[in-house]
Amino acid sequence: MTPSGDNVIYAENLTKTFGAFTAVDHISFSVSRGEIFGFLGSNGSGKSTTIRMLCGILMPTSGYGCVAGHDIATEPELIKKSIGYMSQKFSLYGELTPYENLRFFLGIYKVPARQWEGRIRKAIEMTHLSEIKNRLTKDLSQGWKQRLALASSLLHEPEILFLDEPTSGVDPVTRRHFWNFIGHLSRNGMTVFVTTHYMDEARNCDRLVMLNKGKTVISGSPSQIIGSTCPDRPNADLNDAFISIMS
Amino acid sequence: MSWLRIRELIRKEFIQLFRDAKSRRVLIVAPIIQLLVFGYVVNYDISKISVALLDHSRTPESRELTTAFTGNGIFYIKEVFNQNQMEKLLLEGRTDLGIIVPPDYADTIRIGTTSEIQIIVDGTTSNMASIRVSYAMQVLERLNSMLLQEFYPLHLTYGKIDNRLRTWYNPNMDSRYYFVPGIVAFVVMLISLLLTSIAIIKEKEAGTMEQLIVTPLAPVEFITGKTIPYAIISLVQMIAITIFAIIWFRIPMNGSIALLFFATCIFLMSSLGLGLFISTVSLTQQQAMMSTFFFILPIFMLSGFVFPIANMPVIVQWIAYLNPLTHFLIILRGVFLRGAGISVFWPQITALIIIGFLLLSGSVWRFKKRLD
Amino acid sequence: MKTKTISAVARKEYYHLIRDFRSLYLAFAIPVILILLFGYALSLDVDNIRVAVVDYDRTDLSRDFLNSLSSSPYFLITGHLRDLESVSTELDYGRITLAIVIPPGWTGMIRSDKIAPLQIILDGSDPNFSNIARTYITAFVDRYNNRLFEDYLNRHTLGKIKPPLEGRIRVWFNEDLESRNFIIPGIIAIIIMIVGAILTSLVIAREFENGTMETIRSLPITASELLLGKSIPYFFIGLTDVLIAVLMSQILFGVVMKSSFLFMILASSLYLMVALALGLLISSVTKSQLIANQGAILLTYLPSLLLSDFIFPVTNMPKILQILTYLVPATYYVDILRGVYLKNLGFSEMWPNYAVLAVMVLMLMSLNIVTLRKEGL
Repeated sequence: MTPSGDNVIYAENLTKTFGAFTAVDHISFSVSRGEIFGFLGSNGSGKSTTIRMLCGILMPTSGYGCVAGHDIATEPELIKKSIGYMSQKFSLYGELTPYENLRFFLGIYKVPARQWEGRIRKAIEMTHLSEIKNRLTKDLSQGWKQRLALASSLLHEPEILFLDEPTSGVDPVTRRHFWNFIGHLSRNGMTVFVTTHYMDEARNCDRLVMLNKGKTVISGSPSQIIGSTCPDRPNADLNDAFISIMS
Repeated sequence: MSWLRIRELIRKEFIQLFRDAKSRRVLIVAPIIQLLVFGYVVNYDISKISVALLDHSRTPESRELTTAFTGNGIFYIKEVFNQNQMEKLLLEGRTDLGIIVPPDYADTIRIGTTSEIQIIVDGTTSNMASIRVSYAMQVLERLNSMLLQEFYPLHLTYGKIDNRLRTWYNPNMDSRYYFVPGIVAFVVMLISLLLTSIAIIKEKEAGTMEQLIVTPLAPVEFITGKTIPYAIISLVQMIAITIFAIIWFRIPMNGSIALLFFATCIFLMSSLGLGLFISTVSLTQQQAMMSTFFFILPIFMLSGFVFPIANMPVIVQWIAYLNPLTHFLIILRGVFLRGAGISVFWPQITALIIIGFLLLSGSVWRFKKRLD
Repeated sequence: MKTKTISAVARKEYYHLIRDFRSLYLAFAIPVILILLFGYALSLDVDNIRVAVVDYDRTDLSRDFLNSLSSSPYFLITGHLRDLESVSTELDYGRITLAIVIPPGWTGMIRSDKIAPLQIILDGSDPNFSNIARTYITAFVDRYNNRLFEDYLNRHTLGKIKPPLEGRIRVWFNEDLESRNFIIPGIIAIIIMIVGAILTSLVIAREFENGTMETIRSLPITASELLLGKSIPYFFIGLTDVLIAVLMSQILFGVVMKSSFLFMILASSLYLMVALALGLLISSVTKSQLIANQGAILLTYLPSLLLSDFIFPVTNMPKILQILTYLVPATYYVDILRGVYLKNLGFSEMWPNYAVLAVMVLMLMSLNIVTLRKEGL
């Protein structure tokens, strides 16, 4: 694997340690443009740490990573222009209304002011936020908050979207909508990097990496993974694959 | 630096600060209460000295001594009848001085010898005690020359020094004139420091910092966007309480308002810079507030606000000159009381600019766009 | 109340403190810094008043006058200036506090039994300092006049006349008139307030802000257990701070207690409990760390600094503030400490103060419990 023009995300032996604890242990993978790429693993397997390294929030201890053509260790600020990020923990301003939150991030991304109204309207329509746009964000339900966070990460029309556990704590119907929406983004050429611990969701990804204790366990498309782990069971799903790997 | 980003940061900060009714009230009410309380509390003017008088002599002569004290207007005399009573009053802190007139007082002075008047002073608050004692001694001194005139009606004008003392700058030595300008500075500093010291932590604790880190926002833009809102709030507070101080406490304002405003602006650079610096190096609000307190106490004590810098050991004086409040106080008091102009203050102004610049750039430098 | 629950809460708060190493270390550094500052650097006592002189007379008498001035420990002659104009600049820059101008022909007037004016200019801007400076210089001139009077009497062979009165001054309680001796007890009160109330004012607000209050509500824990558990770690930190302050002021500065250490510890524990209860109450009422902190400063730190008769004399305040001081716990505590440090007063004399502090603890804690019960605990 080498970083090529098509590989918008590329990682080689990426490692992160916190003191004596190794959160991410020599992980390598690459993601091509327009792909929905999934990171699958239980809590504490190193998914969030990896995503945070790719977004420039954490500095890798060793290894090499490259996002949108820039080194994650030396040029994080250049990466930040072309990515959108939605954190696992809700991280918008509770004292502001959804409308004010969106406006704030448009300013931070230096989107020219004449485009603001259009972008905000579009984001609100896409994520069906119109009925709550003037309430205080901290009073919204979890589902609304997730949608708002997604809307805000798309405002500046990024090339690559990083979603850290976007559907945790959300009801199944909203989750279905959510994945439909991600499929729609990917068809329009956006690369989506998503982490989850729901096996059924991971089916929607083009390719997957399964993590355990900071190490890659297996990688490939969902059907490849099922095929190689449970070759004798035609009806097996990712859950079965996961169990058979773990045992 | 992008003005667009900074503008939106400022707008956001103001919405956060003023949307909550409670914090709105804190921002407006806190400085006024502090100014009022401080203004009345900080007062070293002696208007009353309470005296427990034990008169063993009980003669017209000793009553003359009592009148000499009461005639002064400052001394409030309470007569006691034995030593125990006086000791009890002193122990309980209910009298400042005890005066004992000996039984043979009248006889002694009449035969032309010296009678000893005992003055017992509660030395607990030593500075006030020294002043009270010397007031009492002045009364005795005056009585002395009166008695001499009375006993020796002969020509007794000896060559003596006439003490023509004049007080400059604050002729009535009104504590308020001296302290209120300092209080204005301290109150504004306290609030701006506390607000900014948690300005960045708040984002860390709420998780919003993570979202900001993944944006292309530059540290200097972030720090500027955090400084300006608090600078505006502090300036408005400063103007409001200065006006309040001038009207309410009738503080004379002899100097230039423009100079005062300019000095406030450069002083706020240090105050906000220190707050932001604390905020960038702290992890929790508790930590930030403890750090603020760690700084605010020496800043208050080593500024010449209450304790004269000239009285400090030389090394501590050096530290006092690193303190932005020291310089600001010199300017404030100079402008208010003496009406001094900018030419006198260039060392202070230079010092404030350097300290403020260092602290602000320190916070830009220490602010890491990473979470580890 | 279950001790197990309390100790679990206390342990959780303890871990929180230990992890937050810097807060803990600051909680111990603050008393050290304050005691050092007040012991070494800060004093309200005045010595070395800086004086500049202009001597237009230049005779033996004027030189004698200035010599006796500079031999006094209170005055320091910083320079002989040539004219009034330079006096004015020295005063403007704040380099001197006093200026003394001896006019020409001064000695001649005294020798011919006339009254000789002496011009003294005092910088009145700092009232505490200038008040003391004024009384010192006035007393000095009075004393010098007495000497001139004796000279006069001797010259006219009237030497047997003596002044009728002489004041004999005895200082009680703070015999050396050191401001350190009364400021250090006040500083201990401030330290306890900072550690006790400012630190704890964040403790419950933090649970509300982080949403962990929801979890606490669902646990079988009562309001009083939560409060006790939260206060215990801070209680020990506060007590350690008191010990640091007491030992430092005794060893480094010789500030010693006249009464028993036992009264000191008893009073400090009570006062510390008041501080903790106040901090926690502010925390549960405001539910926000920012407002709690501002509130704590306004309600605990500033009153104990300003209204406890520690730096600023209460007797000089307007009546309404004097009445307010009775609501400030530090008033009672500082009073006890001054009794212990300066006056050898023990429990039998000071019990009303202890009682007031105890009542304050009970009232604040009950208010606190009521507040938290309303929050569903």
